[in-house]
Amino acid sequence: MLLADFGTSYSKILDTSSTNGPQLIASRDLDRNLQVDIGTGHNGKRHCRHYVNELTALARGGISLIDAESFTLLDCGSRDIKYVAYSEGKIEDMGWNAECGASMGFTIELLEKYYDLDFRTIEVPATSFSVTCGVLGMSHIFDAVVSGSSEAEAVAKFVKGIAINAYNFAKRPQRIYLSGGLCDNPLFVSAFPCPVVPLGRFVLLDGLKASCEQLGLQ
Amino acid sequence: MTIARTLRVGIVGVPPLSVMQTLTAPHIKVYDLDEPQGRIDIETASPFLPQVYCGILRTVMANSLIIRPDVIYIDIGPGKCDCAVHTATVLEDTLPKTRIIRTRNQDSTDFGTPLCTTRMDLLKKMQAITASVQSTTPYHSLQPCKAVAGFWGVPPRDFSLLSLFPDTTHVYGWARCMENKTPDNLKLELHYNPDIPTVFFAQSFCAKTALARHLATKHPHALYLDCDVTAGNSAKAKIQAFLELSGI
Repeated sequence: MLLADFGTSYSKILDTSSTNGPQLIASRDLDRNLQVDIGTGHNGKRHCRHYVNELTALARGGISLIDAESFTLLDCGSRDIKYVAYSEGKIEDMGWNAECGASMGFTIELLEKYYDLDFRTIEVPATSFSVTCGVLGMSHIFDAVVSGSSEAEAVAKFVKGIAINAYNFAKRPQRIYLSGGLCDNPLFVSAFPCPVVPLGRFVLLDGLKASCEQLGLQ
Repeated sequence: MTIARTLRVGIVGVPPLSVMQTLTAPHIKVYDLDEPQGRIDIETASPFLPQVYCGILRTVMANSLIIRPDVIYIDIGPGKCDCAVHTATVLEDTLPKTRIIRTRNQDSTDFGTPLCTTRMDLLKKMQAITASVQSTTPYHSLQPCKAVAGFWGVPPRDFSLLSLFPDTTHVYGWARCMENKTPDNLKLELHYNPDIPTVFFAQSFCAKTALARHLATKHPHALYLDCDVTAGNSAKAKIQAFLELSGI
């Protein structure tokens, strides 16, 4: 059975009949005719026979991966951010900023390539930019560089601003379980004002597995 | 023989019953200006009302500019909102040939809420509730159903978000006050059922967002949601996921 999370920049595909783990493919390189059994994600509806709402997939993934009755799970994608909050095993709150989560992952990746940065070597700055959206945030970077900041320092303030935005969006929980490609960005993960447990970029695939069980799909 | 010219009357909010009773004559055509009328572009309102403003009142403005009613009854009492007070002024200055009549509906006779609690497609139910404003006769009784979900709030600008709910959704909040013909009934507006998952909805930029969010915090199993002109994918996904994850 083929499961897939069709994200804006990257698609994650899992063949449950294979012992190989999930495949990560740039969404622009996807076979336009690809059809999977069950899918989710921004680009999912046209590629799958059964579509699962992204928030539902995220929540079910969280339930299967997190050993706690109460948690906040935040997914930071290329284009959007979304979260689900559970309290004592029941859904308590959720949010999805689909149009402009500062186009978070996409903008961060763009800056990493443009300035040729290695986020593993950049320290979390003491201060951050107020990032209301990716485009306005980039203006802060350009202004800071013009004023003498290093490119790495300016981008780090931008990344921290985005992490604080995401934290506020998720209603400032005591601990955040993080999903999505930004789990692999140590600067972003460390920039949150609360403890962060990175779960990786395949959480929605775990949610799809749980959905398969609920729907009786084999 | 003289043929009475059709009098075109717009209503905003829920005018008092005594007003609605005067609008039942066959030569009067009533337009509910709160609701989208045909394909009138909401941006028609933009030269006259800020774009960041209640989507319902921007709709009122756009409808009024295109339909140009002879008379507009606009409720500006506590059963509507301050935005309507100011919209009435803008309408008066913008449409000098339209008579703007301000009302303050404080009717307190309960008409009942049979639609809110019956089994019916929620979108059709909300259409029936908004249409009930123009009815002045007692309601037919309807069989109430056991609710599995709740929708609290005002009739949304974009009714399509209602199509995600099950038929056994009960309606609460101002929409229930509307059917009851008591728009200024805070006690009824504050009522909800804590035993069923409930979406607390308000239009973005509406004062009721505070109440919706507050009640969602008090309710043990609730989702707060606000939308502007149209319900985007994320708003619809939130409703769908909330209901799914609540076992509905």
